[in-house]
Amino acid sequence: MVQIRDNSAILPEPPPELLYRHHSRLRTCLPELWASRDIILTLAERDFRAQYKQATLGVMWALLAPMAMLFIFTVIFSRTQVYGIAGIPYPIFAYIGILCWNFFAQALGTGGNSLLSNNALMSKTQFPRECFPLETVLVTALNTVISWIPLAVLFVVYGFVPAATSVWVPLLMVIELIFTIGVTVGISAMIIQMRDLVQVLPIVISLGLFVTPVIWQFDKIPPEWQLVYGFVNPLGPVIDDARRTILLGLSPSWGPLLAAGLGAVSYLALGYWLFKRYEVNFADIA
Amino acid sequence: MWKKFRADRTAPLFYDQFDRFRRSMTKSAKNDYRWVLKDVSLEVEPGGTLGLIGVNGSGKTTLLKIISKVTYQSAGTCQVRGRLGALLSVTSGIHPDLTGRENVFLYGAVLGMRRQVTRERFDQIVEFAGLTDAIDRQVKFFSLGMQMRLGFSIAAFLEPDILLVDEVLSVGDANFQQKCLKRIEEVVRQGTTLIYVSHDLTSVEATCKQALWLADALVQAAGPTREVAALYRSSVQEDASLATSNEGDVRLLKAEIAGPDEGPVRSLEDAELKLTLNAPEAVEADFFVGVSLGTAFPMFITKHHGLFPAGDFEVRCRLHDIPLPNGHYSVWAAMSGFGKWSGMPYLPWKPAVSFNVFGPDMLEPPEGVMVAAPLYVGTTWDVN
Repeated sequence: MVQIRDNSAILPEPPPELLYRHHSRLRTCLPELWASRDIILTLAERDFRAQYKQATLGVMWALLAPMAMLFIFTVIFSRTQVYGIAGIPYPIFAYIGILCWNFFAQALGTGGNSLLSNNALMSKTQFPRECFPLETVLVTALNTVISWIPLAVLFVVYGFVPAATSVWVPLLMVIELIFTIGVTVGISAMIIQMRDLVQVLPIVISLGLFVTPVIWQFDKIPPEWQLVYGFVNPLGPVIDDARRTILLGLSPSWGPLLAAGLGAVSYLALGYWLFKRYEVNFADIA
Repeated sequence: MWKKFRADRTAPLFYDQFDRFRRSMTKSAKNDYRWVLKDVSLEVEPGGTLGLIGVNGSGKTTLLKIISKVTYQSAGTCQVRGRLGALLSVTSGIHPDLTGRENVFLYGAVLGMRRQVTRERFDQIVEFAGLTDAIDRQVKFFSLGMQMRLGFSIAAFLEPDILLVDEVLSVGDANFQQKCLKRIEEVVRQGTTLIYVSHDLTSVEATCKQALWLADALVQAAGPTREVAALYRSSVQEDASLATSNEGDVRLLKAEIAGPDEGPVRSLEDAELKLTLNAPEAVEADFFVGVSLGTAFPMFITKHHGLFPAGDFEVRCRLHDIPLPNGHYSVWAAMSGFGKWSGMPYLPWKPAVSFNVFGPDMLEPPEGVMVAAPLYVGTTWDVN
């Protein structure tokens, strides 16, 4: 017959040698992440579909929103050509910067909060938590790809033909993607620990628009600082080189771009390390 | 296995660490966490079934979350072999803006089902949930019951090696509950290991062979479900009698119950209940007596309307042909006002006395069926 246990002998604290230490190894984390690709895709599909559900124009909005922004920028900035490149229509110049910047800003804005907004799911289901920020980056990427269509419209309107050196653009996008994933993953982990960041994040993002060469040109940065700037803010060289390759027919300026690449990888390493470091109590405090 | 939570779960970590640092400097360190699981050990064989029982906040769900690696233990180890399917909440994975169809794929993926597999089982899932007509509607236009049915149905077709189920049989109507239990039974028969959490003891008894009773972060008892459940029931009853001992105007002084000739209570024989009470004034009231299985919800009640005197008085109630099988039961009693005092709780509903019934054991129901209350009725069979 089962009896009620006498638990009086149980220590108030567990013996120290039993304390749980959370170890994450890349060797096990990455295969797990790869095995969860279905989840990332499905979550991304969820967000993408939900975004435009019940909107009369539906997915058209992915196209309309950047076009509206383009219109605003054209009206405002076509009269103030001070920061553009001579001979290049300013709307095209600015729009390339906006595209690159918006991808980063939107991914960080939604991805940084992704663990919080998916709290219900996160505290009830088990799969690699990186799926949440990665999924939002994926959705943003999809939206961004659609936003490239107005650029084609601009080219037609201004009768401008993109240069052959545009083939370098995918490399630039890879650097931007690495940088974006790194920052988003890291920030999403930090936000769980320090909710103040929820308030700080939008401020920092809107500030970032001005310290990044989105509406001005990368040349404004003194040449001796360009490498450092590229490392700290990989978006600078990425945007600059996007303009050089698409608009001017030049090859990327390799120095700053290399710095940007190194910077992006460092952000990814740091962000992922932070994420894994704090992962252990996500479900407890989110 | 041990698990602690910080007492204030909203405190951000950095602030918390700063605070802990400050306190360690001023040497006024105090515990800012509490243990929700202390020295809990358990082992489930492949194909075994374990039920976790205990009151709210006793650590059942936390234990499941640790096993499913949603959260991590503070100390100790947790080893799980095999593919794990955890159903910790039926609706958490469901997105209100998506249609039922989209949600099936979403929730399936989140619970670890490959898309291809979901596609194959899609029709089964929808049929099981009984949502064939509504599946292309947005889930926010579903009723809560429909959402829960959808969630459970997806999980029911996961077919993992280990299934963790938390408090989800409160889903939907009686029909669907029965279907869920049957499905769980089926999954277990296919060799799945089951760990099942519920307040509802009868459903734990219906699905699990072994049970673990958690209270105040500690294991109170572990073993065969019947025996653990019996211990749990009697403890719940004790708690209830402590909690309600001094309420109302009328006080219950003494209670006893006996079978014929002051002997033990026997199945299908009369039993006499004797209650001694004290009232400050004479009242006209309804006197209720109910018999339950340790819970506040009786299996049957009986009522007497009358005038009750002031001071000490005795209430006798003869229960004819007690329709109960072998087991441990309790008598609950209440006295409430009548007429213009209607509903006045002179004596709140509380346990008066517990007793054993001697007689035949309760019959085992068919698999996957739970018996709501163990009544024993004399029967005559005839097959033509």
